[in-house]
Amino acid sequence: MNKKFERKIASLDSIFAFTEGFFASEVIDSEHLFAVNFAVEELFTNMVKYNRDHGQEILLDVSRSGDELTVRLTDFNVDPFDVTKAPPVDVASPLEDRKIGGLGLHLVPRIVDSLDYEYIDRESRITFTKRIG
Amino acid sequence: MFEIEQGENGEIIFVGRLDAAQAEKAQSFLDSVAAPSVLDFARLDYISSAGLGSLLRTQKRLMATGGGLKLINVNDHIGNVFRFSGFDQIFEIESGGG
Repeated sequence: MNKKFERKIASLDSIFAFTEGFFASEVIDSEHLFAVNFAVEELFTNMVKYNRDHGQEILLDVSRSGDELTVRLTDFNVDPFDVTKAPPVDVASPLEDRKIGGLGLHLVPRIVDSLDYEYIDRESRITFTKRIG
Repeated sequence: MFEIEQGENGEIIFVGRLDAAQAEKAQSFLDSVAAPSVLDFARLDYISSAGLGSLLRTQKRLMATGGGLKLINVNDHIGNVFRFSGFDQIFEIESGGG
């Protein structure tokens, strides 16, 4: 199941409706919806932030194979940005040293089961999997 | 949907989904919080890094004047996000399970 979404933060409501629709159609325990929505939001908003004036929509594709979900976001005609190489965040630092921002890409790999980045023909493709069994 | 309500005992109640589209609303409200406060998350279903940023910014400001936010009734999903973020070390948090 896939759908293109306008590259704006306000698309999140329709993105969540899309993922919830997929969970309902596949009768997947909503216990897993938080992680999927979290990862999709962080990856989608990252694409929006780094190419805000870009007119092209972002493709979201969700599929299921047994007890595993595979989610892919594709951003078309963009420069590469490998989300798996985002700068680390020192989450043990004291409050006064903590910086606002950067947490999203730190958290995604901790919440999903795999995270991969491909850059082919000016397309950024980010794929993550999440076990639902 | 994201709403902010005031509880009977002065606690601030977050309701719904605090995502990147709602973080500005949360930040505008939190900027008006002038004293140590309790945030009740019993009806908060979801938070993303944008919401975490609003909480962190507020905690930094309040702790600089001697008091911070206490987060209560935090569900397991949000609790995990806090733990992976190290927020369990910089906020007082009470779990709500679920």
